[in-house]
Amino acid sequence: MKIIIVGAGEVGFHIANRLAHENKDVVVVDINQAAIRRVSDHMDVQTVIGSGSSPVVLEEAGLKNAEILLAVTDSDETNLVACLAAKILSPTTKKLARLRNSDYDKYHDIFRENSPNIDTIINPEIEVVKTIDRLMKVPGAVDIGEFSEGRVKFVGILLEKDARLAGTYLSELKEKIRGQIPLIAAIIRNEKLIIPRGNDRLLPGDYVYFISEENSLLNTLAIFDKHVEPLNRILIIGGGSIGFRLAKLLEEQNLNIKIVEKREKQCMYLAEELNRCVVLHGDGSDQTLLSEENLHDMDIVVSLTNDEEINILSSLLAKRMGARKTITKINKFSYLPLMSAIGIEQVVSTRLSAINSIQQHIRRGKVLSAISLKGEQAEVIEAVALESSEIVGKPLKTISFPKGALVAGIIRKEQVVIPSGNSMIEPDDRVIIVAKRKAVQKVESMLTVKLEFF
Amino acid sequence: MRWRYIAYLVGILAVFLSLSMILPLLCSFYYKDQSALPIIKSIVITLVSGSILYLFFHKSSIETISQREGMAIVATGWTAVGFFGALPFYFGGETGSFVNALFESVSGFTTTGSSILTDIESVSKSLLLWRSLIQWFGGMGIIVLSIAILPFIGVGGMQLYKAEVPSPVPDKLKPRIRETALTLWRVYLLLTLAEVLLLMFGGMDLYDSLCHTFTTMPTGGFSTKNLSVAHFNSFYFDMVIIIFMLFAGINFSLHYQLLKGKPLALWKDSECRFFLFTVFLLTVVVSFNIYGSVYEKIIDAFRYGAFQVVSIITTTGFATADYEQWPEMSQVILFLCMFLGGSAGSTGGGMKCLRIMLCFKYCYNELFSLIHPHAVTHVKIGGKRIPEGVMKSVLGFLALYMGLFAFCSVLLAGLGVDFVTSFSAVAATIGNIGPGFGMVGPAENYAEMPYLGKWLLIWCMLLGRLEIYTVIIFLVPEFWKK
Repeated sequence: MKIIIVGAGEVGFHIANRLAHENKDVVVVDINQAAIRRVSDHMDVQTVIGSGSSPVVLEEAGLKNAEILLAVTDSDETNLVACLAAKILSPTTKKLARLRNSDYDKYHDIFRENSPNIDTIINPEIEVVKTIDRLMKVPGAVDIGEFSEGRVKFVGILLEKDARLAGTYLSELKEKIRGQIPLIAAIIRNEKLIIPRGNDRLLPGDYVYFISEENSLLNTLAIFDKHVEPLNRILIIGGGSIGFRLAKLLEEQNLNIKIVEKREKQCMYLAEELNRCVVLHGDGSDQTLLSEENLHDMDIVVSLTNDEEINILSSLLAKRMGARKTITKINKFSYLPLMSAIGIEQVVSTRLSAINSIQQHIRRGKVLSAISLKGEQAEVIEAVALESSEIVGKPLKTISFPKGALVAGIIRKEQVVIPSGNSMIEPDDRVIIVAKRKAVQKVESMLTVKLEFF
Repeated sequence: MRWRYIAYLVGILAVFLSLSMILPLLCSFYYKDQSALPIIKSIVITLVSGSILYLFFHKSSIETISQREGMAIVATGWTAVGFFGALPFYFGGETGSFVNALFESVSGFTTTGSSILTDIESVSKSLLLWRSLIQWFGGMGIIVLSIAILPFIGVGGMQLYKAEVPSPVPDKLKPRIRETALTLWRVYLLLTLAEVLLLMFGGMDLYDSLCHTFTTMPTGGFSTKNLSVAHFNSFYFDMVIIIFMLFAGINFSLHYQLLKGKPLALWKDSECRFFLFTVFLLTVVVSFNIYGSVYEKIIDAFRYGAFQVVSIITTTGFATADYEQWPEMSQVILFLCMFLGGSAGSTGGGMKCLRIMLCFKYCYNELFSLIHPHAVTHVKIGGKRIPEGVMKSVLGFLALYMGLFAFCSVLLAGLGVDFVTSFSAVAATIGNIGPGFGMVGPAENYAEMPYLGKWLLIWCMLLGRLEIYTVIIFLVPEFWKK
């Protein structure tokens, strides 16, 4: 399977890296030599130096027999033109473009469905706002994904020291909990991902990922001692495009929002566009301003400026001054492992969101969504079980799943089944599979129709 | 520097090498010569040492390797392989001391083709097959071969590939390194097969055609005969071998394109054009130079002139004539050919045409900007601009190459070797050619070299095959700093 990635920036780099590890044929195109060098030094992919919007360069990259073209440069125009050129040169290639400019928002759906030369449009800013919204609604969640149009949630939480379940073996869960047992899909301990079995323990400080139906989510969270807290007062630091989008979304939900923005002009714009939200002109790391605005009473502080260091510092400051919860936007992946060490748990990233939404489109089989877990060590895939694929019609225990992969849930019509060894997957069920990076490739081939190989 | 991982990979290489010794063993059983026991001994030693390294260090597998480690792996890998490859010669007894066996083995793997054997035909057939086979392995590169057939080297394969095939302008045929390596080996195999068939068609027996093909394709130059290719004294064989030497001297990715159905691929590549044109020009000059003075007939002058020019320029080192009897001008041309070498990405050694070409263009640009001080110029190849960094590393390479050539020649002369011999022996080993001039001419061999001189030349051969940087880096103190 050959994939051409136009743009070797942070998004392109990480997607290329992941795909190269899965033994896919990846060609990365970028005009910047330093960026290309970084790619060719780090991974086993082919590189082409040149503008991704040039048909000559795309041809040189082998577009003719590529299955997918990902246009993920920082420039929307380049991405659009790259897809257009690709459409002309190779109509059968699936084309994905990343568009960031908020001007496209209004036309997002039209573009996605009607644009003749693009198969899918990814707008990471929209995705990030959605993620923030979800994180706010679920108490204690550090990571959250949705499956089956939001009916099933995939939630990651930090297990506190005084939580009831701290120290419990998974096999003992039945005795400790009355009612339905949550399906624990993964544990991250000391930056290492564990696909848990009965003899694994939940330790304080672990990040625990589980799957739950939407309507029983709060009960499940209660098991982990995460309780719903009233959500009313929100402070947004940074009124750029993401901040604005978020404010607009939250305004519709009748919440009390304050937004701090440094640039005066942008403040004017925000004040004009937003109606109930309080627009404050000032620096997000200015302590006097923050305490003047009752930061200590805030339920959530969201730091969304374009400067990651300021975001981190603002969040730390807000926590120290008494805000209950913070959400921080960070783009540099190298910072992510540091975050839990300095006490920042809820992190969002436009790039990570972009990668997540691109992912589902590059998986074979009928994959509906795919979410990567912290540090890209594993992936959660939701896919339709095709009638002729290997996993259908047999009890789970007889299927030889690759090491490091687990069926975490089966969605049959409207119901979520927590699978056991005897459960069977029926055709047209949706399965949710957690797989470590090494196992992803095998899982992918299990999901595809067997006939595809002949 | 993770030495444990390096030891692990060297272990794998050794195991792999021991398995490849089975072929000469079978040959030995077939011809019932006395070399079976030495080969079995070598297999056991290589296999056991390899397995020990493998089993001892196999837990140290890692995710990625740095460029520095890649170089260290390739350099130690080649040294180890040279050492283990010498065992059959040493146990076989024909070479005498171990340094001689090592010289023969390294000369094989590096596709040099310099020999210390005085009477080649007295050596058993199985050992001669081994001698040819290691050249064949060395030609496309043992690391490239390992990347192609051993899936677990895929990790960090790119770093290893870059350290073994250091092309000034790297090109990857396929998105993945393993696919690239496989493709190169397939092309190599196909050309090998074609030459064997053509030689057999001309009446050479299977054994000799295999041995000579195994040394033509990697531009090695070992022969099973004392007189080298001159032994067969056949116009047909000379022509077949000339053609395949030329093939071997051309970038293999061009052959790949050719096989993919682009008949003009060779002609469209400016380096290939430069290479073929140089060969043609020098052949004409040498042929006219030896016409009349050595050979009576023009066709003979052309036949021998062309063979020798191609043999030296592609760094093969086969001989059909003793060119030391030729006029001085031809000798000087052949000596200079030793520096030229084949194309980048071919199996040939030397400085490589691409580098020479870039150097010429760079010099021209310098002159041009003296005439037009405000002109903006770039060095271009095939219409594409060569980045400044590449140009610098090419010039650095050429300077290093000439510097090491001078340094090693002085050392060799210091060991008591005469003027012509010290220059040509170093040029012939560092360029992986084989025969030189003086004491080491096409009619003589390297047996008379002083003991330390042999070690020096062994080092020169490795230096030339891995294109200087990968080997010389070990001598830079910065390399060892943590």
